[in-house]
Formats: sequence, C-alpha cells, structure tokens
Amino acid sequence: MSDKEKAQRAGVNGEITLGDVKNEKKIRRKELTSKGEEKLAYWTLVLPGFLIYFAVMAFPTLFSFILSISNYYRGGQLFGPKAVDFKLVGFGSYAKVFQDEYFYVALKNNFKIVLISVFGQIPLGFILAYILNRGLVKFTGFFQTVIYLPCVISTVVIGILFKSFFSPTGAWPEVIRIFNPAYQPTVNANPMASVLLVILWMYTGTYLLIFIANLQKIDSSIIEAAKIDGASEFQALRYIILPALSGVIVTSAILAISGSLKSFDLIYVMTGGGPANRTTVLSIFMYDKAFKGAPNYALANAISTIMVIISFLLIGLTKLAEKKFGGKE
Amino acid sequence: MANIQDTKSTSVIIGKIVVYIILGIFTFLALYPICWLLINSFKTTQEFQLNKLGLPGKIDGYESTLINYKDAWVRGKFGGLILNSIFYTVVSVAFIIMFSFMCGFAFAKLQSKATFALYGSFTIGLLMTLQCIMVPLFLMANWTGLLDTRLGVLIPYIGIGLPMGVYLATEYIRSIPTALIESARIDGAKFFRIFAQIILPMCTPLAVTIAILSVTGTWNEFMLINILTSTPTLKSLPVGIQAFAGALSSDYGKQFAALVIGLLPMLAFYLVFHKEITKGVAAGAVKG
Repeated sequence: MSDKEKAQRAGVNGEITLGDVKNEKKIRRKELTSKGEEKLAYWTLVLPGFLIYFAVMAFPTLFSFILSISNYYRGGQLFGPKAVDFKLVGFGSYAKVFQDEYFYVALKNNFKIVLISVFGQIPLGFILAYILNRGLVKFTGFFQTVIYLPCVISTVVIGILFKSFFSPTGAWPEVIRIFNPAYQPTVNANPMASVLLVILWMYTGTYLLIFIANLQKIDSSIIEAAKIDGASEFQALRYIILPALSGVIVTSAILAISGSLKSFDLIYVMTGGGPANRTTVLSIFMYDKAFKGAPNYALANAISTIMVIISFLLIGLTKLAEKKFGGKE
Repeated sequence: MANIQDTKSTSVIIGKIVVYIILGIFTFLALYPICWLLINSFKTTQEFQLNKLGLPGKIDGYESTLINYKDAWVRGKFGGLILNSIFYTVVSVAFIIMFSFMCGFAFAKLQSKATFALYGSFTIGLLMTLQCIMVPLFLMANWTGLLDTRLGVLIPYIGIGLPMGVYLATEYIRSIPTALIESARIDGAKFFRIFAQIILPMCTPLAVTIAILSVTGTWNEFMLINILTSTPTLKSLPVGIQAFAGALSSDYGKQFAALVIGLLPMLAFYLVFHKEITKGVAAGAVKG
C-alpha cells in the first residue's frame, strides 16, 4: 500500500460521519434537482408555443372585447406621447350594431350557411361515405380522392372561378341554355344561392372523409350478424350504424357550425358581400367596418365579440341536443 | 329457390348501378368546374366569348394557345409570390411541428398543475373563429411595427396552427407508455434527452399528419396575410392571384391562366400525398 492510498483511506475513514451527511444532502439535492429539472423542462418546452398562441389567439380574443366597449373608434397609438385618450365607454357600439339593418342581413346569411352545412354537407357526406364503405363499388380510393379535391384548392381560386362561372357573361347562362334555349341572363335574382351552392360543393368532401374513417371503426361482423338475423340494409343503418356514429355526427355539426362562421375568404372573393350587401355575412360586415372607408374599430370588435358568442351558443345547443336525443354511446 | 336468387342478384345489380350513378354525378360535379377552368385557360378571351363550354380550337380562326399563361406569369409576377408562399409555409409548419411536440410532451408526460389551464386554453383555440382576431391582430401588428413584415405574417401563422398541433401531439404522446420514460429516468437521462431521443423519433407519423394539415391551411390562408401585408413583394400566392385575377373581370383568358397557376401547387401536393391527406383530415377532425 502506498502512502498516498493510506492517506486517502485515513481521510475517508476519518470523515465517515461527515461523508454520510454530505451524501444525504446530495440525495436530497438530487431529488430537488429532479423536481426542479422537471419544472424547468416543463416550462422551457411549453412557454415558446404557449406565448405565441396566447399573443396571437387568446389575447386578441379578450382584447377584442375590451376594444368593443371602448372609445377606440378611429385607431391610433395606445401608449407613448401620441397616445389617444383611451376610455371604456360601455356597450354603445353593440347598440349601434343592433340598429344596423345590414347586421340582420349578415346574420340571416350566416344562418343559411350554418343550415346548408349541417343539413346539406353532413347528410351528403354521410351518404357518400356509407356507399363507399359498404363495399358496393370499386375504386373507393378514387372517388374519395376526387370528392375531397375541392377542399385542398385555395378558396381564392375557387371564389374567382365561380364568380366567372356564374357571371352573366360567364358559362352558367350557356349551361342553362342547354336545357332551356330561350333563357336570357338577367341580374342574379338570388346571389346567396350561388354562394351556398359553392359552399356545399367545397366542403362536402371533409365530412365524407370524417364519416368514412369512423365507419371503418365499426365492427362489420355485427352488421353481418344482424343481416343473418334478417335485418334489412335500412334497419342495419338505423339501429346499428347511426347510433354508433352519434358522437361523430355531433362533432361534425360542431365543426360545420364553427366552419360556417369562418366563411370569409370565399364570399370576400366571390361577391365581396354584394350586390348591395345581399350576400354579406358577419365576418364581411366586420371587415367593412374596420377596413373599408373610415374605420370604426370599436364597432368591428363588437361584431366579432357577437360572433364568438353566437358560435359558442350554437355549439352549446348542439351539445344539449346530443344529450337529449343521442347519448347512447 | 333459383327465382329468389335471381331477384336478389338483379336487385343487387340495380343497387350497384344506382350507387355508381350517384358517385358518378358527384365525381362529375367535383371535377367539372376545374376541368372547365383548365380548358378555357387555353382560349383567348375572344374565343371564350364565342365558345364558353367547348374545347379550344373548335371555332374557325382560333386554336389553343399558351399566350394567357405567358402574359399572366409575367404581369402577375407569380414566380416571386410562389417563393413567398413556400417560405411562409415551410417556416411556419416547421415551427408548428416543433412547438406542438414540445408542448405535447410536457402536457402528456410531465407533472404540473398548470397543464389543466394551459392545455384547456389550447383546446378552446380549436373552436375559435379566426375572423374574430382579425382586427385586434391588425392593430397589434401596427403598434409593434410588425405590420407589413415577414415576421408579422409568420407569428400569427404559427399561433393559429398550434391548437390543432398541440391537441394531436398531446393525445399521441399520452398513448406512449410512461414506463419507457421512467426507465430512461432511472438510467439517468434528463427530460430534454428523453424528449429528443425517445419521444421525437416515435412521433414521425404524427409529424407527417400535422405537416399535411398545416401545409394546406397555411398555403391557402388569405384573410390575414391580405390585411397584414401591403408591400407586393411580401404577399403570398393566393393574395397575388386575387389581386391579379380578381381585377380582370372581363379578360377571362388571363384570369383563367392565373387561376390555374394558383391551383397547380396544391393540386400537385394533393396528388402526391392524397393518402396521407385523407387520413390526416379524419384524424384532425375527430376532436370534439
């Protein structure tokens, strides 16, 4: 044994109690750092994403409400030397919105879009998905791909395409003339109808995909067993497939409702809300108040707050309807 | 007995015919407007006025032409706009995926009392209507000097894509067995290492789903970039198409060519990834 080793041993032996204490401290510190490390890891991982999300979505939604009850009509700096005199003035902007006749036109059009989404897109999507899933046809993948195609194309392209297609100098009058040679193009009597048609055309594919994915989850042996017991195709649909899909139908309805209120791009490009504001919807109405002519930001934010409230009311109603009529899951 | 089988098979055949007719009609309706656009983009505006539904070259003195594409491409400056769109899409999708997995791992596998509130606020974001943040975002961008900058477009795009990404990532990482992480902890691995070396490699399929969902959304986004930028060189392809083609209300030839240019990138993307896209949409939608 060398001197060095001896010295080390002595040292270790001599400090045996002290070493124990140190060890204990080390263990405790390790536990602490483990907790601390978890905390540190948690916040480093969460914060970048959450801060951006908060700044871009959560905060503006709350801020929109504050602006809607303020006197911030014309814009300008909130802070600094050139700051405007910012005050909360109450719900006057809301009263103004409710007095505006175009608000009701927009509201009505929005509800038409909600209706065509819930009672047009969803049933059509379901029927198509059902046909494709029951294995009655070949080329399932092809049909699925083609019917979903309109959903991936830029709304801008679709909007301008149909604007030209339905225009009096476009192709629509020619198509009508195939069936009715005496047809003369006039000013579009019901501009909202063409918008609704395009919306139906664009989004049915989404619900087709949702329903197909969920139909595939249903155990086909249950349906086969029911068939052997003498159930018709319709009975299998009514008593096995539809109840199994009730949750998906509610989800789709919620998607359709929140999607309906999003219908800005298409209408902005296709009609701009015109002619004479007849195809306006709440989002276009709000856009006009904020960015067309003299801005009124408080008013625009009042409209957007009303939109949030309507959207959550409708979603709440859908959930209620699910509890009352479905809920067999 | 034979009779019963006969009627059964005829009814099956009739049913099949009906089903094919229904699907045929829908296929036709889905494709017709796009084919109509494509066909007419090869006609000059004069020829289109004479022949709105037929193939090009059917009328004497006219033949199919590429002049519309040449004119539209040069005058609309679509080359730069396509590069802009690629830039916005690639950068924001990369950040969406990264932040989604970071948040998803923390929410799914790390203990914190904050998860309930933070994750909850992300799921509310799934139902938020984007139009409602349009005006505040515009004002905020204006105050911070981010209006009309590339960063001012990217930040909202990332934030808007996050709720869907975080939701999918959290649910996905939750289904990864915690035992994997615990055993790595016992071996002394730090959380960051676990995240980088265990979780991330397992999440590749989900990264594809999130990428596909956010690529279509970001590429086609129009409303925000339309109000957040004013310099033409900062705009994206859809905005450029709207500015160019929307203004040409009577020059149909160039308008149709511009629309085809606007349609092609997503069409190509869809044709290549249609399997992943159709799967991803269903995964992204089931979130109620």
